Amino acid sequence: MAEAMRQINPEVVAAFPITPSTQVIEDFAKFVADARVDTELVTVESEHSAMSACIGASLSGARAMTATSSQGLALMWEMLYIASSMRQPIMMTLVNRALAGGINIHCDHGDSMGARDAGWIQIYSENNQEAYDNMVMAPAIAENAGVRLPIMVCQDGFIISHSIETMQIEDDEGVRSFIGERLTEHSLLDTDNPASWGALDLADYYIEHKRAQIDAMANAKTVIQEVSERFNEQFGRKYELFESYRLEDAERVIVAISSVSGEIKQTIDTLREKGEKVGLLKIRVFRPFPYDEIREALKNAGIVAVLDRSASFGAYGPLFGEIRTALADLENPPMTYNRTFGLGGRETFPSDIADIFAESERYLQGGKIEKVSDILNVRGD
Amino acid sequence: MSDNKYKLKDWQDLPKGGVIPEGGNAADYETGTWRTKRPVWKEENCIHCMTCWTFCPEEAYKLRDGETKSGKPRKEIKEVDYYHCKGCGLCAKECPINKKGDKTAIDMHHEET
Ligand code: SF4
Ligand code: SF4
Repeated sequence: MAEAMRQINPEVVAAFPITPSTQVIEDFAKFVADARVDTELVTVESEHSAMSACIGASLSGARAMTATSSQGLALMWEMLYIASSMRQPIMMTLVNRALAGGINIHCDHGDSMGARDAGWIQIYSENNQEAYDNMVMAPAIAENAGVRLPIMVCQDGFIISHSIETMQIEDDEGVRSFIGERLTEHSLLDTDNPASWGALDLADYYIEHKRAQIDAMANAKTVIQEVSERFNEQFGRKYELFESYRLEDAERVIVAISSVSGEIKQTIDTLREKGEKVGLLKIRVFRPFPYDEIREALKNAGIVAVLDRSASFGAYGPLFGEIRTALADLENPPMTYNRTFGLGGRETFPSDIADIFAESERYLQGGKIEKVSDILNVRGD
Repeated sequence: MSDNKYKLKDWQDLPKGGVIPEGGNAADYETGTWRTKRPVWKEENCIHCMTCWTFCPEEAYKLRDGETKSGKPRKEIKEVDYYHCKGCGLCAKECPINKKGDKTAIDMHHEET
């Protein structure tokens, strides 16, 4: 991630250290100290200030980036909305970590899922290669004139952020030509053309501004596809709105986000060898959510188990809600159920995934979902 | 700009992110509609000290060129601009003539409803 940030060479990075995202900024600070980037690194006193500094920098026309996790994102909350409503293409590396209470440094998606309505584009990465690639694509997506929205590139804390993998880093020239220059319509520093930002916006205009944000987010879906296509042409790695893994003829499907997909793919390969028709739909873009494309991809499935790595207390998991909504318009929608897993870093093994596929088989044969929602690997159940 | 300047715009026609790409257009905003009390300036008691002009948050005190008793040029208060005066009463509160108490240079009257 730090490597992608070095190649993007943003004018401003403002960040406050928090495990497990600290490593990103530590590595990046070294690039600053070694003069390998031109970045002004602002070591702020809190994440609220980090996001505020990014907003100010971005309003002046600078590329601005930050990195955070968990409580850090929570402390940015107020400013996340300011960034998106001011339509500033700020980039964030989010290393997913559980939220306190119960102080926990390990992975779940409670932090970013809580921010899903903050108006940020959210892209999730299964491994380090994807995190790097998604970050390289981030400026071109966020800064597109029809989009102009902030973007967070998410990866799983520790499982991915602190693991060593072989990966392909592209050369600096290639990346820089890919991302190009940021163009701005209005700059805070342009004293010849004074403008005002952050004005009062009441019942006569607020809803029109929100309408424009909704439109920008809808445009982001097309732009993400175009940028991913261009990335594939230049670097030879193909990305879509989601990944379909052995999905084409799959009767039983799991939908999941980020690193757990590795275990799921491994399990699918084993079961496929035995002739079982199982597959995975791995979410990459969660905001904007690709309802139509997902509906199309899952229309022939018999049963879909949705894995949520965060809890929405008093409701189904956030991913499950989206998937069921996407499928509801089908004439014969597949059966669906929800499993919450991995909160606070609780391990999930390939055997757990095999159990889910077995459970799906049972439900499919019996024609009935016995338990719509449940939590995996919790003691006492 | 034409007569349509104050017509509410559609969402497609708005600058992104609520930016106002024009300087000084607060002058176009009629804060006078907020007023429940109206400051009435009394020229006969005013010493043109500019305190009201300094304190007024809406720049509602308009000036004219004048001169002191000894003939030196100076700025003087001309009138209150009721398009912008929002009736906050700061001017009447800060006016030194009002503070002294035997007479007033600014009186706050209830607006006729
Ligand atoms: S009442 Fe307030 S707004 Fe009106 S002239 Fe006095 S200071 Fe200005
Ligand atoms: S503060 Fe009072 S005396 Fe001074 S200029 Fe205003 S009205 Fe006149």
